[in-house]
Amino acid sequence: MKAGAFDYVRPQSLAEAIQLRGGGRDTQLMAGGQSLVAMMNLRVAQPELVIDIGRLSELRTVSETGADVSLGACVTHAAIEDGRITDPSRGLMPRVASGLAYRAIRTRGTIGGSLALADPAAEWPTVLSALDAQVALRGSGGARALPCRDFVVGTYETRLVADEIVESIRVPKLSAAARWGYLKFCRKSGEFASSIVAVVRDPQRRYARAVLGAANGAPLVLVRTSELLAGAAQREVLETAIAADLDAAKDRRFDDFQRSLHAVIAQRAVQQALA
Amino acid sequence: MSQVRLTVNGKTVADDVPPRLSLADFLRERRNLTGTHLGCEHGVCGACTVLVDGEPARSCLMLAVACDGREVQTVEGLDKDRIATALREAFKQHHGLQCGFCTPGMLITARDLISRNVATSEREIRKGLSGNICRCTGYTNIVTAIGHAAKALAGGGGE
Amino acid sequence: MTAAVKSRFGVGASLQRKEDDRHLYGRGQFVADVKLPGLQDIAFVRSPHAHARIKGVSAPPDTAGQVFSARDLPDLKPMRAVPQVPGFRPSGYPAFATDKVRYVGEVIAACIAPTRAEAEDLAATVGVDYEVLPPVVDAAAAAKGSSVLVHESWADNLFIERTIQGGDIEVAKREAEIVVQREYKLHRQASVPLEGRGVLAYLDRRLDELVVYTSTQVPHTIRLGLSEMLGIEERRIRVIAPDVGGGFGGKARLSQEEVAVAALALAVDHPVRWIEDRSEHFLAAIHCREHLYRMTAYADRRGRILGLDAELVVDAGAYAMWPNGPFLETGMAARNLPGPYNIRHHRVKTFTVATNKSPIGPYRGVGRPGACFAIERMIDEVARAAGRDPLEVRVGNMVGPDQMPYKSVTGMTFDNGDYPQCARMCADLLDLPAVRARQKQGEPDGRLIGVGFAAYAEQTAHGCGEWVTRGAPFIPGYESCQARLMSDGSLVLMVGIQSHGQGLETTLSQVAHQELGIDPAKVSVRHGDTDIAPFGMGTIASRSMVMAGGAVARASRLLREKMLRIGAHLLQADPKDVRWEDGAVAGPSGTVRLEEIARIAHLRMEQLPDGVDPLLEVTATYEPAIDTGVFSYATHAAVVAVDPLTGLIEVLDYGVAEDCGTVVNPMIVDGQIRGGVIQGIGTALYEEIPYDDQGQPLAATFADYLMPGAAEMPAIKIAHLHTPTPYTEYGMKGMGEGGAIGPPAAIANAVRDALGPLGAELNETPMTPRRVLAAIRTARKRT
Repeated sequence: MKAGAFDYVRPQSLAEAIQLRGGGRDTQLMAGGQSLVAMMNLRVAQPELVIDIGRLSELRTVSETGADVSLGACVTHAAIEDGRITDPSRGLMPRVASGLAYRAIRTRGTIGGSLALADPAAEWPTVLSALDAQVALRGSGGARALPCRDFVVGTYETRLVADEIVESIRVPKLSAAARWGYLKFCRKSGEFASSIVAVVRDPQRRYARAVLGAANGAPLVLVRTSELLAGAAQREVLETAIAADLDAAKDRRFDDFQRSLHAVIAQRAVQQALA
Repeated sequence: MSQVRLTVNGKTVADDVPPRLSLADFLRERRNLTGTHLGCEHGVCGACTVLVDGEPARSCLMLAVACDGREVQTVEGLDKDRIATALREAFKQHHGLQCGFCTPGMLITARDLISRNVATSEREIRKGLSGNICRCTGYTNIVTAIGHAAKALAGGGGE
Repeated sequence: MTAAVKSRFGVGASLQRKEDDRHLYGRGQFVADVKLPGLQDIAFVRSPHAHARIKGVSAPPDTAGQVFSARDLPDLKPMRAVPQVPGFRPSGYPAFATDKVRYVGEVIAACIAPTRAEAEDLAATVGVDYEVLPPVVDAAAAAKGSSVLVHESWADNLFIERTIQGGDIEVAKREAEIVVQREYKLHRQASVPLEGRGVLAYLDRRLDELVVYTSTQVPHTIRLGLSEMLGIEERRIRVIAPDVGGGFGGKARLSQEEVAVAALALAVDHPVRWIEDRSEHFLAAIHCREHLYRMTAYADRRGRILGLDAELVVDAGAYAMWPNGPFLETGMAARNLPGPYNIRHHRVKTFTVATNKSPIGPYRGVGRPGACFAIERMIDEVARAAGRDPLEVRVGNMVGPDQMPYKSVTGMTFDNGDYPQCARMCADLLDLPAVRARQKQGEPDGRLIGVGFAAYAEQTAHGCGEWVTRGAPFIPGYESCQARLMSDGSLVLMVGIQSHGQGLETTLSQVAHQELGIDPAKVSVRHGDTDIAPFGMGTIASRSMVMAGGAVARASRLLREKMLRIGAHLLQADPKDVRWEDGAVAGPSGTVRLEEIARIAHLRMEQLPDGVDPLLEVTATYEPAIDTGVFSYATHAAVVAVDPLTGLIEVLDYGVAEDCGTVVNPMIVDGQIRGGVIQGIGTALYEEIPYDDQGQPLAATFADYLMPGAAEMPAIKIAHLHTPTPYTEYGMKGMGEGGAIGPPAAIANAVRDALGPLGAELNETPMTPRRVLAAIRTARKRT
């Protein structure tokens, strides 16, 4: 299981990386490499040129305003786990990070890399959607920002176009009244989940969102459930809403087991957020 | 081929490597440091775990070229390390290895748990070891060994 | 056969392991660590199809001399496992596929290049023209007949169909007051040692010897196989198993790759090496565990089992592995189906089926985890039907100590032990009343608690007669030891077994200390190298401690006898007035130490008595005093919490009460139990290689194939009984596999207990959340 041959370049700036990305060769960006190198070792990814952006300081900055925290795309899961970056999520992000794969993966893997890969069983796309985060993209055509909720559109599919690179992720700060729930269902510590639910409820902003991950595609916002959570809903009503949201997602083709599992995990995550 | 220059176990080394050469293969084939083992080459089993700039990393998922300028430490570099020495004693005392294949990766991971002070309870240690597969021991003795080593180091004395 | 004497270094001591240091310093030497000038790497071209005819193999013209397939090595013989079992159909298993491939992963060609990466590049350029054929994937269906044949010279897809029976099942049927029928299925898995397989070979021109490093448990057997397949005399082949990173049975068969790499070493002018990667291991290393039992138990109203009537289908994969073939597993499962119970009527119709999947081989426990799963689940269901507690019914069925030695209805002779007492000790380990109280109280998180038991007897160190009965082509009924005392009094023990985690470098030194008083730190144990060790049968079948330990004991005593004669002469004492004491000959006038005697025997021969030759070197073999094996036994118990909404099972507590006779190194024995139990938990809850209907395996990485990790491993409580067997040195028994036999049954019974209120049962491994929820749904539909 050795990778096929490829060329390697380490650009000195984000602008240079964008140029290389748009240069016409079959390229892959490498941030932490924890997913890419595994795929290359298995020869399911065989780029001509690997563009190593993992050391670009432009992608590792962290900045803070009164309302939000911006993390560079190449901030590692371990940095978030260890609390080395200001946490806008009142403990949710460090909690998510600490359960992601294994420590030796977390020291290299990055939040931007995870979002850009859009593995259906990955944690960050689901959690960042629940947190109403924004992703900043930069390409040769300029910079733009999208809600994370809209960024991932399918299995390994995002709204990145042409030579765009994920630059940073801006997470609104949760108020002191905010509560969250987070559950990842897996049989073995660190493996890919069969169901992920992230629920964020911030009464001060009248904001609530419940998102389902490992949902056979992009993270699925549980719309009806989220609407009810923004108010003051009772348990049974929420359970019905969860069921309705899952039933409405016919294109996801959940089998019986997935359907019942997602419902249970969503119910439990919602209860966490209401506790 | 790309030029790469890094520190391995305290020694500066320079070499010309194909970009696809993993750090694991660089260590094993180019530096003759075969203590780091390959068990899966997709980052799950932990046998290849080394320290890169002081933090544990999967050498099977790192490209040697990407380690330019970095400090790498393998099990062979821990001969005189204080934490590793306590761990080795504890592993021997508590039968923490059988075939030995997972052992270097276990030691690197265990050393990291102790140095980050997250080896203070059995539960913490078990979780911290979740990224290192052992097929032989059933983990119990490894967990016990790490717990004892951590206590011995914290207490300042030997076991 | 003396009782063990407790000492700091001898039998019974938890001596720290001599093998530890090199591994703790990262200085072990596994096959992949061996460096040789000019070494090149091999990547294999493997079949992507489960069943296909090969119309042609082509490689780009500039790759001549780097790509090899069957036509380039025409003198290579196919492996033919021919057990001496009437009715068994042999099949040829070539190292390189010739006209047909029969499983995904089968070797078709080898590509040699300076690095593995380049060899894989080369492999991608090799073209194979296939005519794809429909695959045989469902063993149970194929057992009844199929239009597609895996081996076209056969009339059907059965390696062998064989009924194993004893007593008269019709009597049981007639007398039964309770009849329980069930189906039990264990799904396919792999052995997954952390070090995969690996072979490095080169021709040593100075010695005119083909040297083959291979990660194997059975070096002499491999040498024998290579000699046969390559047509080279054994004296011209050296097989070396260096450090081996786990074997568990999967490295105890001759593989396509070993034959291929050895053949390639003779075809090129430099060393060659193949190191198995993880995907190759899932595809092409031995598979195991896939059994289907359809079983009826006949019992009286108290749950005493009168008879068992069963059908067993073993999905054996495409070929018989050399040397034994797959019936070894089927026969073992059938003969162990009555468990440790006094059941007098028994009939098992067995079908060992050829399918288009990877060939099966032995994996810890072999046929027994499946048999234990079936009988132990059955005991629980019979107990339920009788309205009695499963533990009580279990104990009530057990062979009692007063019935020992007990000849089972399948011809196995349990030598000694107290199975009922062991079962009760196990219950005590888990504080059964407390578990029942917790169960009654209910969990705040809604999970259901259950406790389950499983008991077994494990045949170990079986000898000549037993292997002949099984039809083995080679009889591992003995072991060998060459003991060489050096002129400075240090000792080298050369043994035919192969230690790959069992700590035999330490425990065999303990045996030498027991007999000679020599410090184990002054003993070297050399194993795994056919140029060094006398012929032996390797480490399999829980035999090494008994067999090699016995050989070491015997050889040590022969050395001791000679040293007593020399010592008596040096002390000018009558031979009957001297004795061996603490590593010296002690007589009325003084003592003379082993070191002094050794020096004289090598360097000062003029001081030797008449009739005594120089040197202190002997070769001895050993067989236990009984052929039919010495039986370790145990009862396992599991406490589980089942989430009835997600199907997730957590093992909260686990207990093992066991008896393996005299224990040489308690620390190592407990380590073997723990290691075995987690493998059993892997079978019970996590590990599976599913196949789709095109014969494609659906798990080829650790992303799909789950291994139990430290966070999933429960605390394991262990209690011991010690009933020394009269048939071995010191009364010891083997025990290496037992830990893996009990868990699937114990956990399934615990889940049954937990889901009792819901009426749901799990009769399939692994017990995934998906299967648990399906079982609950099925039960709900019935009510």
